[in-house]
Amino acid sequence: MPFACLFVPDFPVQAVVRLDPELAGKPVAVFAGAPPLTKVFSVSPLARKLGVAAGLTKLQAESFTGITWRWRSLPQEATARAALLDCAWTISPRVEDISKSGDDALPDTVALDGVVLDIGGCEKLFGSAEKIARDLLRVAAEVGFAANVAVAANPSAAICAAQGFAGVTVIPLGEEAMRIGELSLAALRAPAELLETLERWGIRSCRDFAALPEIAVIERLGQDGRRWQQLARGADPRPLIAKEFPLEFEECMELDSPVESLEPLLFVLNRLLDQLCTRIRMHLLAIAEMKVTLELQPPDMRQKGELRHIRTLRLPIPAKESKFLLKLLQLDLQAHPPTSEVVAVRILAIPTTARSRQLGLFLPLSPEPERLEVTLARIQNTVGEGRVGAPVLLDTHRPNAFEQNRFVVKDAAEQKLAHARTAIATAALRIYRPPLPATVDLHDGKPARLACSGVQRQIFAFAGPWRTKGDWWSETAWARDEWDVELRALQPRPRAAASIAFDANIIDSAGDATAQTETALYRIYKDLRSKRWFVEGIYD
Amino acid sequence: MNYVELHARSAFSFLEGASLPEDLVGRAKELEYPAIALLDRDGVYGSPRFHMAAKAAGLRAHVGAEISVEGFGNRASRPSWMPGTSAPRPVRLALLVENRAGYRNLCRLITRYKLRETEKGAGTATLSEVAEFAEGLICLTGGEEGALAAALSRGGYAEARENCEKLIALFGAKNVYVELQRHFDPAEEHRNQAAVRIAESLRLPLLATNGVRYAQENDREILDVFTCLRHHCKLDSAGVLLERNDERHLRSPQEMVRLFTDLPRAVYNTNELSTRLEFSLADLGYEFPRYPIPPGETMDSFLRKRTEEGFRERYAPKDDEALYERARCQIDRELALIEKLQLAGYFLIVWDIIRFCREQRILVQGRGSAANSAVCYSLGITAVDPVEMELLFERFLSEERGEWPDIDLDLPSGDQREKAIQYVYQRYGQLGAAMTANVITYRTRSAAQEVGKVLGFGSETLQQLSHLVNSGQWRGPADALENQIERAGFDLTHHRVKKFWDLCERIQDLPRHLGQHSGGMVVCQGQLDSVVPLEPATMPGRVVVQWDKEDCADLGIVKVDLLGLGMMAALEDCLELIPRHYGVPVDLAQLPADDPPVYETLRRADTIGMFQVESRAQMASLPRNAPRKFYDLVVQVAIIRPGPIIGKMMNPYMRRRQGKEPVSYAHPSLEPILKRTLGVPLFQEQLLRMAMVAANFTGGEAEDLRRAMGFKRSEQRMKEIEVKLRRGMAEKGIAPETQEEIILQITSFARYGFPESHAASFALIAYASAFLKQHYLAAFTAALLNNQPMGFYSAATIVKDAQRHGLRVKPIDVLRSEWLCTLEHPSAPAPTAAKDSADASPNAAPVLRIGFRFARGLRESSADALLGQRRLRPFAGIPDLVRRVPELLKPELATLSEIGALNVLSSGIHRRTALWQVERAVRMAGPLLDAIPDDAEISPLQQMTHEERLVADYRGSSMTTGPHPMSFCRAALAKLRVKSAIELTGLPNGQYARVAGCVIARQRPGTAKGFVFLSLEDETGIANIIINPDLYEENRATINCEKFLRVDGILQNQDGVTSIKAARILPVAITAAKTESHDYH
Repeated sequence: MPFACLFVPDFPVQAVVRLDPELAGKPVAVFAGAPPLTKVFSVSPLARKLGVAAGLTKLQAESFTGITWRWRSLPQEATARAALLDCAWTISPRVEDISKSGDDALPDTVALDGVVLDIGGCEKLFGSAEKIARDLLRVAAEVGFAANVAVAANPSAAICAAQGFAGVTVIPLGEEAMRIGELSLAALRAPAELLETLERWGIRSCRDFAALPEIAVIERLGQDGRRWQQLARGADPRPLIAKEFPLEFEECMELDSPVESLEPLLFVLNRLLDQLCTRIRMHLLAIAEMKVTLELQPPDMRQKGELRHIRTLRLPIPAKESKFLLKLLQLDLQAHPPTSEVVAVRILAIPTTARSRQLGLFLPLSPEPERLEVTLARIQNTVGEGRVGAPVLLDTHRPNAFEQNRFVVKDAAEQKLAHARTAIATAALRIYRPPLPATVDLHDGKPARLACSGVQRQIFAFAGPWRTKGDWWSETAWARDEWDVELRALQPRPRAAASIAFDANIIDSAGDATAQTETALYRIYKDLRSKRWFVEGIYD
Repeated sequence: MNYVELHARSAFSFLEGASLPEDLVGRAKELEYPAIALLDRDGVYGSPRFHMAAKAAGLRAHVGAEISVEGFGNRASRPSWMPGTSAPRPVRLALLVENRAGYRNLCRLITRYKLRETEKGAGTATLSEVAEFAEGLICLTGGEEGALAAALSRGGYAEARENCEKLIALFGAKNVYVELQRHFDPAEEHRNQAAVRIAESLRLPLLATNGVRYAQENDREILDVFTCLRHHCKLDSAGVLLERNDERHLRSPQEMVRLFTDLPRAVYNTNELSTRLEFSLADLGYEFPRYPIPPGETMDSFLRKRTEEGFRERYAPKDDEALYERARCQIDRELALIEKLQLAGYFLIVWDIIRFCREQRILVQGRGSAANSAVCYSLGITAVDPVEMELLFERFLSEERGEWPDIDLDLPSGDQREKAIQYVYQRYGQLGAAMTANVITYRTRSAAQEVGKVLGFGSETLQQLSHLVNSGQWRGPADALENQIERAGFDLTHHRVKKFWDLCERIQDLPRHLGQHSGGMVVCQGQLDSVVPLEPATMPGRVVVQWDKEDCADLGIVKVDLLGLGMMAALEDCLELIPRHYGVPVDLAQLPADDPPVYETLRRADTIGMFQVESRAQMASLPRNAPRKFYDLVVQVAIIRPGPIIGKMMNPYMRRRQGKEPVSYAHPSLEPILKRTLGVPLFQEQLLRMAMVAANFTGGEAEDLRRAMGFKRSEQRMKEIEVKLRRGMAEKGIAPETQEEIILQITSFARYGFPESHAASFALIAYASAFLKQHYLAAFTAALLNNQPMGFYSAATIVKDAQRHGLRVKPIDVLRSEWLCTLEHPSAPAPTAAKDSADASPNAAPVLRIGFRFARGLRESSADALLGQRRLRPFAGIPDLVRRVPELLKPELATLSEIGALNVLSSGIHRRTALWQVERAVRMAGPLLDAIPDDAEISPLQQMTHEERLVADYRGSSMTTGPHPMSFCRAALAKLRVKSAIELTGLPNGQYARVAGCVIARQRPGTAKGFVFLSLEDETGIANIIINPDLYEENRATINCEKFLRVDGILQNQDGVTSIKAARILPVAITAAKTESHDYH
């Protein structure tokens, strides 16, 4: 049963080059790592000839002329890997993904990027093993890869040969030991400890290793040693671990006539979702993510190619109810409507295991997750994307530093803690986002008058400055002096209390009259780096 | 209004402060403070330097410390729901010393809880301990780490008030100050408001401080870096552990007054409190222990008697009446001064240590300026006769100096020295004697490593950086850290890289942690813990003081240095090996004086392994100086020092010695002083005498001059003394140009020169080592190897040198080797159960057997188990060895196989066979198969080639006893016209020559203006290479990284010294063996 290995040397470079055909035949190198620790991650053969090697720092690498530099792209590598699998699946349904590289791969470790496929029985469809190998090479070239292909009697021998020999290699049955024997021990990718022992023994090639008496090897290196020796003999009996087809569910529909408004589209979506949910439920699964692709009618009919409107919904809780999913889709499409008429709809669902939760008899009722999601989606539709969530304080002295997490309902214990927290709060500061630029007159180094958005106020009392400075080691360094000041309100209080951006122009005459008499506490600050003043917020 | 900062921390709070005490004082001086207090964390580590700096700057230095205390709860911390919360830590009390009793109590309190803890840097005092030692101390309520802040955050006003009452109960109402700090932090201000209310209600005084942690604002960056190092995190993730702002610097009094406009009393009180603090470190209350003497004696009379005894023993055999008389006068003079200065106890204590060492047969010799004293010579402390050598007593002891004499004792490194140290502990008790500390500071490499780590540089990058850091003494423009960072491929314009460079420069010399000095011990009459806090050392059974030896010396605490000297240990080993293997007794005191073959060898610069004369520079000067008698050796030891080299004394002396230049004197009055060194001052004593003779300096004044030049930042002091020198010389009528010459001579090397007495002590050891190497090469080489690491060369070089001198060296052998290197006699059989070691046939020349200690990775316990089994019966084969010595791990067995140590276990096996068999033997088949006899299996593996054997030898034992790697390719090299080291000596000066060899040493001395010196070893000897700075920069990577080099250049062959001035340097592929080189030490 022959196996073929399709191996892509310098995969990170090739993953970039295949999408940028102009780079083909040029010396290219790929950087990875955040500055200033950027290093060369992978190089093309031509670049290697010019002396560039993985591990060089960016500065060192840039001293080489005539090299084209690109950044490593993990999404591109992922697509490239999927493309590689597609190549293999064109020949055989039994394909193993042997890729080992990832985000954490070190620049100087050789990534193993390729696939092995079982081509037993494929001869009848595609011809001889050599033809299959050449076909694979051709298909790989079509998707932009310069690969090596090797065919051997077992997967391991095929992998070794594809890595060790360039181009197409077909090892006739029974000659595995001879051909693999030509390779150095490094091609085995054996553990360092074993390689060290073999090096001490003076064993340097697979042939030398293969020649050792098997029982003696077992006595010394155990069964593991035997396995590596079998590999060196090209006789590793390991089976192919076939990759399953990706478990995704897809439904699509071509529309008879283009649909312009959302209302009729929802009918179509509803049907598709019903189908999908039925299939999902049959597998006792639920939907974790949905990708809706709307094929659009190009506004100009002469324009070639497809126009698509794609929306992806990652669901916070696995769902299998089409009604709920439809509502979410509706809200999303209301916020992001397609720009043109829809001619086809495709929904791709990524499944996951269904949610199961036992509710407590004595626990307070929390909002139903599905309804909460719909509510959050509604709010987001109103206030804008990225503006809904639960704030979380960051571990820094930087004022106003927080990040926004997804809003989740806390359990009873957490709620109790949150309650305790509010009990100790003494004042609330409503923050203007962004802060309001201001001008502050100082008297004896202390704030005396404040002018903000056309309104001038005398400062009656102040406390401060409260000084913070940080991140001095990076470009995001900050330094500021904060003051708490009391002055006549900049705008009428009742309506200004909302945390909507302050605009002095909206102050009406009645409000202004109130502001004449009422004082308020504000937080103002001076950015010590830009030397500019701002009003940051108002105390309740 | 004046302001005194009474709560400042220095970098001696180890990663919790960011400025040196000197920098704090410097800044305080700039700000016109009248006084300043230093309160380091759990100790008074920085106080001596703070005191000395303040004394020089004319400020008052108050002493105090921050003490971790249980009983006040944990420090205030952020609420648990906020990010950046840290583990609970006990409150710190800020204590100021009011008087000597307070200082004594503070030291005892710290010692008490420090000695209780097993972990270094830990420790917390209990409330009862604080109560016990509270007298004389003033307590501040502290800043954010203090008791008040802790109580406020925990229980509010009521608990805070309660804590203050607790403090009043401990220290008394007059001795508690409510501390206020203002760093523009609202939470702190909130605390301040409460503190003011509490102070009013309890009638406690307020005290403004700034809780200083660094001198200048931008030092906050260093403190942030230190904080990350302390918490093992990076700056990016440290969050609120870092400083909130940069306000904890020393503020001007005006600024403090402005900050506390609402509370002027708080600032005023700083002055008031400062005047109350009467204690300073000048009033330490240290007393050297009295030596226990028999009834009816005084220490002086007892010392006189011991000296008399020794005097007769030393001088009577010399049979020189004039010398005897001179010595008697000298001793009387010395004893009178010792009596006057009440130093008899000190001499007796050192004599007591010497007596202990003699009884225990531990080789010991005093050195340093003690060798100037005839009393020390008579007491057996030193071995050099100062009267015969006309050494200057004032260099050792002077009435005017008012400081303790300094006696250093050289002992064999290792266990013997430890015995002497333990004796001192036993004799004076745990609280009466302690080791001095050694402050570990940041150097270029450690700074780069640690700063890089906190800035988030990866380990690979850090390795790359530290690899490039040149640790040679010479620092050229290309060696600046800035260039090294660029060479590592980093963009210096990048903000983070720029910060990295800046911080690396700034944290250099800041203390990292406290270590233990290798041999400095302090002892005290009564309790040492009332003079300085004591801490447990990492080494069990040892106690260390919080000050280093310079601090102790500055504060007048007597120390005795018990220094471990590798060569003393080697000499001691020789004393045991020589009688056993050569059949002749050896007494180092009775070695034949001025042995001609020894001096012949020295003149040839054939000195590898010899004490003090083996370095490259020594070898280059030995043929020129051509020593013929002991005094020449004394000069030789002293001349290769930075002082004589910088002062350009070395060449005039050598030319005069070779008769190429007439002997002349700057002034006729200097002739008696400089006659012995041909008119060139080479020793410290000479310059002291020059000052005394030419400028009428007293002995004490002359010593002051030496110290002034050795003292950091003492330009002012030096100028004053220089004026005095000129005035003295003018009074003597010395012409101005002669004055200049004399001043130049004095100033150029006073700081770096050797005292003659010290050189003489070293010369004695150097002569002994040369004598033993000349006459007992096998024993000497074994002793050197057994005490590695020591000296200038690696074990591989020592072995190759010994082989070139005809010694047979045998490799490690599992049937013959011991843990240490041993001597064997060719006819002796392998040691068996009956006979352990080959000490028979002393008539045959012994051969050297390398010991197991050189088998890389082999543990001593495994070797001991092996030796134990071998004594029972020899091993029958590898399986037998593996079965009987289960302690041997597989890697250890593999190393032994690889270096050929197991080849002897059955006939006809080679190293690979051994490896093959070991791999099987270590996989135990289980008891079922135990009965099956082991078959002598022949391996299918190829025998190692020459090259593979070399690689295995160097990998497994860092040396080879076989042919030198260069010998394998000599024929090929000869075709390239590469000469051997020995051939170079026969070539004419100025000829273009080519040489190749293994790099065994790289040097870049600070005195050589960037020139680099390489030593290339081949099978015939060592070739010396001189590389100019430009060529070095062009070939930096090749020179520093390649193990074998080929050098082309002009041969310099003058006065018996051969070297090549390199014009071209190329790497040469000789072997893949990992040879070692001694670089840029």
